[in-house]
Amino acid sequence: MRIYAVFVYLFLYAPIGIIVLFSFNAGRHASELRGLSVQWYGKALSNPFVGDAFVTSLEVALIVAILSSLLGTAAALALQRLKGSVRIFFDGLIYVSVMIPGIVIGIATLVALVTVFDFLNPWLASVWPEGVKPPQLHLGYTSVIAAHTLFTMSLVIIMVRARIAGMDRTLIEASMDLYATPWRTFYQVTLAQIYPAILAGFLLSFTFSFDDFIISFFVAGSNTTLPVYIFSSIRRGITPEVNAIGTMVLVGSLTLLMTAQYLMRDRGKH
Amino acid sequence: MREQSNSNRWLTVVLLAPTTLWFLFMLIMPLIVILIFSFGERAAVGGYGGGFTFAQYANLPARLKAFQNTMTYAPVGTLLSLLVAYPLAYYLALKVDRRYKLILLVLVIVPFWTSLLIRTYAWIYILGGRGIPAMLEWLGFEAVRLINTPGAVLVGIVYGYLPLMVFPIYVSLEKLDKSLLEASNDLGGNPYRTFFASHLASLNARCGHGLYAGFYPVDGRVSDPGFSGWGESILHR
Repeated sequence: MRIYAVFVYLFLYAPIGIIVLFSFNAGRHASELRGLSVQWYGKALSNPFVGDAFVTSLEVALIVAILSSLLGTAAALALQRLKGSVRIFFDGLIYVSVMIPGIVIGIATLVALVTVFDFLNPWLASVWPEGVKPPQLHLGYTSVIAAHTLFTMSLVIIMVRARIAGMDRTLIEASMDLYATPWRTFYQVTLAQIYPAILAGFLLSFTFSFDDFIISFFVAGSNTTLPVYIFSSIRRGITPEVNAIGTMVLVGSLTLLMTAQYLMRDRGKH
Repeated sequence: MREQSNSNRWLTVVLLAPTTLWFLFMLIMPLIVILIFSFGERAAVGGYGGGFTFAQYANLPARLKAFQNTMTYAPVGTLLSLLVAYPLAYYLALKVDRRYKLILLVLVIVPFWTSLLIRTYAWIYILGGRGIPAMLEWLGFEAVRLINTPGAVLVGIVYGYLPLMVFPIYVSLEKLDKSLLEASNDLGGNPYRTFFASHLASLNARCGHGLYAGFYPVDGRVSDPGFSGWGESILHR
């Protein structure tokens, strides 16, 4: 039994170990290990395409995380006030947007947005005042952010709602009885109880968006995110440089998640 | 009182408005557009040409291979994940010392937090010409081709979704009454019989969640088959 478990852990960690090992490869060829060096880290860090893709991914993930934790929490709070068919309708939409495969939503969003833009762009040009350059709607930051947020916002709604369900309602009643204003009740009682779920939702949204390849691949337009960049370089052939980028991403996301874990544990003790 | 409930209603509407817009423009509209386009003619220059026809649906048998691949890989991959995950979840839930339990559980989920794309392409090394095949050759076996095979695709699927499978099974095994196992032993049941009677009897109910969690992402997988089994990929360049 124990031997089996060791095997499964090997299975889980061998690929990650190999990426890290080969990122220190001194040789040019990705599949042959010839001494150790950090030269590929230097190459990766000085590659402007990698830098751009990284910044794009970071910006997109940050905005997605902020948007989905704010809007998701708002929606979760509103939904608990609703009953009946409206609520069932929203529940359905939430689960559909979480379960729909990334490739379906990616292609559907791409086709729909391109169609809408083709329709809107001439119209915008015709109504725009003479002499001023009309705006050109195109795929880019906004479309990736919007497509990612659909999924992550639903995740946040589900997480926050689970937390609301487990919340101590008598505290709210007590707060009301003691003549706290609704705003103060919300801030000091409700928010204080649901914020771990919001924080967890924020981090999950960030990691999802930063890591997402399929949806970004379809709707990012000319704004390349890091996973899309990695994918296109792998298709040209694996280089130690890609491994170096991969290792840095692995270390970065692990540090982030460990920090979050540590912060939340510390808060829980008080 | 009347005023109060009115302002409450407005608050609900305001809180729900952004989400509603999102669902409308990013979920419902794209799906409707795709549905309409699926009945459209193909324009001479490519793209949507209007009209109403079932031609695109009639053309689907040409893509039969892709459907077959998906419909085989999804259940087989799920079953394999279950076979790999169940013993591990069992070990973690019932055999491991309390002190190490948390760290071992975290170790299962950590790879899941890292980039799927990067984790998956590492398998190109392992299954590629200089990986396992080279090792087998060195050991004196005949070299085999592993990359770009259905087996490689399945390895990728199992690898990608193992944590999703382990956790739900772990949670339900954790709740399993250990006294049942002891009772079975006391009554002279041999270890196999104990296992089958107490675990597999309720396997269906217990693994339902795991199966579900493992199954549905497989439907939409692109990057995996695309890498590990380039030749027969669902996406197919």
